[in-house]
Amino acid sequence: MDQQTTQQIADAKRAAEEGGVAGADSIDSMYLTFAVGSEDYGLTIGMVTEIVGMQRIMVVPDVPDYIKGVINLRGKVIPLMDVRLRFNMAERPYDDRTVVIVLEVNDAPMGLIVDRVREVIDIPDANIDSAHNFGGADSRSVVSGLGRIEERVVILLDVPVLVSDMDVIAPQALRN
Amino acid sequence: MSANPEATTEKSSGGALLRVSSDKIGRLMDLVGELSLSVSETVNSPDLEGLDLVGFDAAAHRLSMIVREVQDAATELRLVPVGEVFRRLKRMVRELERETKKNIDLIIEGDDTAIDKLVADKLYDPLLHVVRNSADHGLETPEERAQTSKKKAGTIKLTAAQVGSEVRIQVIDDGRGLNREKILKIARKRGFFGETEEPEPERLWKCIFEPGFSTAEKVSTLSGRGVGMDVLNTTMSELRGRIAVDSEEGSGTTVSLHIPVSLAFLDSILLRLGKHLFTVPVEDISEIVKPGPSDIVGVSARRGKEKGSDMLRLRGAHIPILRLEKFYNSKVTDMTPLSEMVCIVFNTSRGTIAVPVDEVMDRQQVVMKPLVGSLAKVRASWGCALLPSGEVAIVLDCERLASGDEK
Repeated sequence: MDQQTTQQIADAKRAAEEGGVAGADSIDSMYLTFAVGSEDYGLTIGMVTEIVGMQRIMVVPDVPDYIKGVINLRGKVIPLMDVRLRFNMAERPYDDRTVVIVLEVNDAPMGLIVDRVREVIDIPDANIDSAHNFGGADSRSVVSGLGRIEERVVILLDVPVLVSDMDVIAPQALRN
Repeated sequence: MSANPEATTEKSSGGALLRVSSDKIGRLMDLVGELSLSVSETVNSPDLEGLDLVGFDAAAHRLSMIVREVQDAATELRLVPVGEVFRRLKRMVRELERETKKNIDLIIEGDDTAIDKLVADKLYDPLLHVVRNSADHGLETPEERAQTSKKKAGTIKLTAAQVGSEVRIQVIDDGRGLNREKILKIARKRGFFGETEEPEPERLWKCIFEPGFSTAEKVSTLSGRGVGMDVLNTTMSELRGRIAVDSEEGSGTTVSLHIPVSLAFLDSILLRLGKHLFTVPVEDISEIVKPGPSDIVGVSARRGKEKGSDMLRLRGAHIPILRLEKFYNSKVTDMTPLSEMVCIVFNTSRGTIAVPVDEVMDRQQVVMKPLVGSLAKVRASWGCALLPSGEVAIVLDCERLASGDEK
């Protein structure tokens, strides 16, 4: 599953680079979806570098509680964020479906610990209700919008906010 | 893989040289680091435990030896002679001669000393400021020199030499030297020392590198407005280097910069504190002490909400104990009693401190990586180190640890 999804992401990115061979599937509208608790989340695949199984975590000092430590991924040191803790959800022991989504945001790596990954899907802008903020940059929500795919709703995340140390706040309004 | 025909050959007296982008070398260094980690993972695999594998052990040993040689060879790729930086300075000195109307003999020694390209690239600016300072403030005018027994042209000597795992670069001038009275007066005015304090010369001279310190009565365009010395301090701390100044009034000043040869590999001691792994450059450690019960002195006197601190008694001196648990987490409550710990003693510019840890592990050559993103906020740290075991340790910067390094 992990490798398959990683491959899928790599393919989509390559297709986008080669000038949209995949047709309407522009990389911007491709989302990697994953589950945390009973909720479905999604993030744009542009920042995803790979998906790996849970690794041995080494603790580091002086980081927020939701940063569980770092892993050594083939010589790269990657901090791991437990998305449950970041969202103030109850902690849950890791199992064999727990995965790490490795991101590259502003040249810095970050691994997200999530309950399980689902799939890469295309959500056109028309199916997204975007978050709107009234209070300026300080009140920027970690939720960038809600995506609708048939009966499902996927909570789309603002990755730079997620990996920053800004407080997690709910969006104030959503509209298409 | 696409092969970029980017490497071009260049004729030189010492044989054909190859131009390779530093990105490619960086990639190679990363790969070599990964290679050495995965070899050590394979060789030390728990699956092999209890097996009697004579042939394998011999092969594994050979493999480890080769990996180490590859590692050394890769490190060497990025070493360049420091002479390149010196040559740029030489041109600058000619300029300085014109501007100051002083005659300067520049002597260069040890310009073939090898240094990491990344370090060399950062050396020019700080060295330029030291050289400028010598030319501008250190050396006397030809008329002044004529009144002493000195020859008319002043001398600035640039030397480089490898000392252990460090490169020592010195800027030596035969000028008027530093004036203790004048510098002490300003240092006191700036609050570096108390009104009656008589600092050791070594500590006093270092003041001239503090930001905002300038003894020149006239601000000249050459030496800037005390901004230059700040560049020196910032760069030296980036390069994990040290500055030392020695001076004798009337006969000259020597400024020594001690810089690690390579920023990529670090000769360090591995420490364990609870579940945390730390590592410190070997040269930072002054000693390692296992304190007995009578060596710990509790001091309850304190300011405001501060916790009382403990002192380590070491040969008659009392050294403040700095606990990393408390430094990184002020709310920590249960800490291992000091009697069960080992104290690492650091000599820092802010004085001596003792840092207790649970265990002193190996001395190792580690690969150092910068802390980026959400890890950039880890205080008192140079970066993180990848250990041959695949584990990650935080490299402690004892200078910033001693200074408190507030969030």
